[in-house]
Amino acid sequence: MTRKFCCYFLTRSSSPGRLTVLLAMSGFDKLDADFYQSSFSVDDQNQGGGGYSNTDVQYSNPYGQYDYSQPMGYSAAPGIMQPQQPYTGQIFQPTPAFTPASTQSMYSSSFEDEPPLLEELGINFDHIWQKTLTVLHPLKAADGSIMNETDLAGPMVFCLAFGATLLFTGKIQFGYVYGISAIGCLGMYCLLNLMSMTGVSFGCVASVLGYCLLPMIILSSFGVLFSLQGMLGIILTAAIIGWCSFSASKIIISALAMDGQQLLVAYPCALLYGVFALISVF
Amino acid sequence: MEYPVQSGFRQRKIQPEVRMRGAPVDPGDPRLLFDDTSAGGIGHRQALLSDPVSNLAMVYGSSLASHGREMMDQNLDRFIPISKLKYYFAVDTVYVGKKLGLLVFPYMHDNWEVSYQQDTPVAPRFDINAPDLYIPVMGFITYILVAGLALGTQNRFSPEILGIQASSALVWLIIEVLAVLLSLYLVTVNTDLTTIDLVAFSGYKYVGMIVGVIAGLLFGRMGYHLSLLWCCVSIFVFTIRTLRLKILSEAAAEGRLVRGAKNQLRMYLTMAIAAAQPVFMYWLTFHLVR
Repeated sequence: MTRKFCCYFLTRSSSPGRLTVLLAMSGFDKLDADFYQSSFSVDDQNQGGGGYSNTDVQYSNPYGQYDYSQPMGYSAAPGIMQPQQPYTGQIFQPTPAFTPASTQSMYSSSFEDEPPLLEELGINFDHIWQKTLTVLHPLKAADGSIMNETDLAGPMVFCLAFGATLLFTGKIQFGYVYGISAIGCLGMYCLLNLMSMTGVSFGCVASVLGYCLLPMIILSSFGVLFSLQGMLGIILTAAIIGWCSFSASKIIISALAMDGQQLLVAYPCALLYGVFALISVF
Repeated sequence: MEYPVQSGFRQRKIQPEVRMRGAPVDPGDPRLLFDDTSAGGIGHRQALLSDPVSNLAMVYGSSLASHGREMMDQNLDRFIPISKLKYYFAVDTVYVGKKLGLLVFPYMHDNWEVSYQQDTPVAPRFDINAPDLYIPVMGFITYILVAGLALGTQNRFSPEILGIQASSALVWLIIEVLAVLLSLYLVTVNTDLTTIDLVAFSGYKYVGMIVGVIAGLLFGRMGYHLSLLWCCVSIFVFTIRTLRLKILSEAAAEGRLVRGAKNQLRMYLTMAIAAAQPVFMYWLTFHLVR
């Protein structure tokens, strides 16, 4: 049972780094997050495994076939799989570590191995915070590589927060916020693909534009306190639009290495954020 | 299903989708619970083969997606020539600044010729006379937003108005471009003006319209009328000077008097196109300023 369990881990992983970690089976939370996908799949089988303890007898034969076919499969694949060959002999070493109780071993060890929920969902608060700081400091030079991961969790949160602050002023316009952001992202995607040498992916554009929506939330929360249609409101709106578009263009320019085009990129961003400002002011 | 090599953070986001699709909740079937979701090559496929239905569905789905994307790329390239469009967007800030100045004050500029480099026109970045699409597109969008702003100050704003303004301006643009194309065809002019060039030249009037509406917002009707008058005259001169080189024959473009019905007709055509610009400018903005 536990032998099958370890062979199962062997089939899961695809890099020697993970296997060494498997053998160690401790302190894995410090290591590469790629590891977690293996243990997550263990969870997955347990979700359907209400009758797990009853049916593990049935597992033996088909799983045994599965298990023995793996090394052949891996040896046929070049490169990646070859370093795993020497590990096949050692894979059964950790089996003694997996025996609290035979029927419950899978369940309890997988529960301990379970990674935190946020990491499974791919929400990395540290990166989100870094990107937020980049937006909030428009005069600081941006690092072009931070936008390589297309993370839409932060932008979603910001859109919801924007809609919520609009709600406080009595305007129920979530639909317009989402619609305009979708159209705006599509427009920016087309424009940036036409203007830059290298292309961009839609997720990258959506992520950058979503993060730079953060100052707009500040504007709409001011709109809760006082009406933005006066002179002070107009000045504040103009300043916030400038802030949003400046930081968005700064990040895009550094990510795509476009020279002499920062103002040209900042202008459509300013138009997009101007539409959001139109919604929050009027 | 292919797993592109990305950072581990992103890769984990891809994995859950495969797991959810490939592992139905069925405690009675042990093979499904051990679905292999690692990035291994042959082992991965062997695991999928253990459930032929999900494997078939996944392979079909991925092939459909890639096939759809190929088809879309091909067809998009047929209708909208992406590489040609990229030429019109190869601009930089200096060019845009100079061109905007030229649109508002074209009287001091001498040389209106588009420079070529071995038969291909030079990119707009390097030649101020070359047409571009950045200014027309941005001008169009800015016009819609400024119209929304103007209607908002008169308390006539609702988000649907933006859509209405956008579609009506777009329709007028299409009508104008089609009319110019038709008249160029009827007059049988041999010119290298492409449709995209005509869209660009028709889009330059949005700059004047925006200036007029903003002046109207700041200074009232008098400001609107004065600035619109100035911009109409400027765009008239700009259009004539630009199109003259493209439509008229060489000799007439240099200013020498060339008799002949053909050249006269072409001259009238150029003047008609140039005169249509102020008409559109007034038509599309007068209802915005009260």
